[in-house]
Amino acid sequence: MRDALSDALVSLGKKDPNILLLTGDHGYALFDDFRRECPEQYINAGIAEQNMVGVAAGLARSGFRPIVYGLSAFIPIRVLEQIKLDVAHDHLPVIFIGDGAGFVYSHLGTSHQATEDIACSRVVPNLSVYSPADRFELTQCLAIAYQDNSAVYLRVGKADRGDIHQSLPNIKSGRLIKVKTGKESKYSFIATGSMVRTAIDVADKLHNIDVWSMPFIKPIDRSMVEKICHNSEAVVVLEEHSKFGGLGSLIAEIASESSPVKILHVAVNDRFSQKCGTYEYLLQEHELDFATVYKNIRNFFERI
Amino acid sequence: MKFDPKKLRKTVLDMAYAGSTVHIGCAFSIIELLSVLYKSHLRYPENDPFNKHRDYFLLSKGHGIMAQYACMRELGWLCDDDFLNYFSDGSDLKGLSDSRIPGIEVTSGSLGHGFSVGVGLAMGAKLHKTDQKTYVLVGDGEINEGPIWEGALFATHHELDNFMVIVDENGFQAMGNTQDIMKLGSIQSKFESFGFDAITIDGHDEMAINKAIVGLWKGNKKKPKALIAKTVKGKGVDFMEHDNSWHYTRLNQESYKQAILSINGNNT
Repeated sequence: MRDALSDALVSLGKKDPNILLLTGDHGYALFDDFRRECPEQYINAGIAEQNMVGVAAGLARSGFRPIVYGLSAFIPIRVLEQIKLDVAHDHLPVIFIGDGAGFVYSHLGTSHQATEDIACSRVVPNLSVYSPADRFELTQCLAIAYQDNSAVYLRVGKADRGDIHQSLPNIKSGRLIKVKTGKESKYSFIATGSMVRTAIDVADKLHNIDVWSMPFIKPIDRSMVEKICHNSEAVVVLEEHSKFGGLGSLIAEIASESSPVKILHVAVNDRFSQKCGTYEYLLQEHELDFATVYKNIRNFFERI
Repeated sequence: MKFDPKKLRKTVLDMAYAGSTVHIGCAFSIIELLSVLYKSHLRYPENDPFNKHRDYFLLSKGHGIMAQYACMRELGWLCDDDFLNYFSDGSDLKGLSDSRIPGIEVTSGSLGHGFSVGVGLAMGAKLHKTDQKTYVLVGDGEINEGPIWEGALFATHHELDNFMVIVDENGFQAMGNTQDIMKLGSIQSKFESFGFDAITIDGHDEMAINKAIVGLWKGNKKKPKALIAKTVKGKGVDFMEHDNSWHYTRLNQESYKQAILSINGNNT
């Protein structure tokens, strides 16, 4: 997925000389190709994220297409006000890439973990929010973000969970993508980012589940969500993000208005990580590992 | 005469009285700075606030916005109705700067934003190889904000000699005296130590302002510029000068009349 990100950035940079890549001194090795291929379009703005976003706004105002890269703990969290006032307020075409979302930095602790970024970004008017699950979705999300010509937050989470898709024909902005069809589908899983893999793995053991990947958090095709909720006896939403304000909240908002359905929300409880360890270890701490998710979903289905 | 400070101050008073608004003192300290900028420095080809070749002026201290509105009226970008109806329901002109108004580059009021956006515009002009200049006006209270100093490092590192920050050093911020709240020391030496060409002048002396701006642009290539303007909050109305309560006080019929008299008196 990181190779795909690098490739996509290089191809955008070569296609459009107005693309400028700004990083807050993050992305070690990730930008080697970009720096080699587009050296004049690369700016390390130093460890000064607030200024970096303001500068990106100024560059966008003068006709450039800035892509701002940082860890999602900083982009968008630390600079939310700059995104709101300096960029989104005027529909400026700045793409924000927040890398390492969720618990990717499992050993580093709270400062580098981001489970509040979707909630914070989706409430900013004019700001789109994308959350790809694999390299295919990532490449297309970045391409769509570029075509959007407006402010986009691209959430990049755990990058090495394997491909979800074998290939991906052109996807349309806002649409959910069906990644698995159950034999006699009663239930639907809707997942985003890293948790699409978990959703598929659980569905593989249960046989009657449709699984949808949701790379677009905002804007979205509401009618698709309504239809999925309408046609399901129950829905499970999975995300590596807080239970508050993320994908689960979004689905519940739509379902409660037009197609009420029982929803199990598999997400991060309202707490910071207590311990450190491998990514898998931390998923266990937050009850997002496969075994716990599988058990909780089974229990949910039994209670319905 | 266009951009006559006395006239600009009267416009601000009319506006503040019509809208029963605050921040009069914040606008009065920057009247001469804006007068000189609009009169002699800011280039708007065809008087078009969106012209691609314009210079950029960013009022980062959005609290002084009435002074900018007054200048924009002189340019014909705002009309009398905008002033008479200030703050009426459904009106466009807000109490802090809003970039959706033609002629206003950034949305401010939350402080410490305009500086970085200005740095980005200056960098954009460099990359486009145009001779556009970027001016950012900040308050002395505003430079408590961290991003100002992040932006100063960045501007120096990238040798943005087409960027000028103007500091309105009126000695006050919302809750009192800057030296009591957060000691600033010498603002000039702070910017100099960040790599700027800097000069301190009387921010109400139009000749001195003009000379300083011309001198800074002629100065050291590769260095961003800082103009530190020593100003008086509430300048121009005797009972408002040095009185920080005019950050918040609204005019009534009597104080409005007295203020107009004071401005007339100061200039006869």
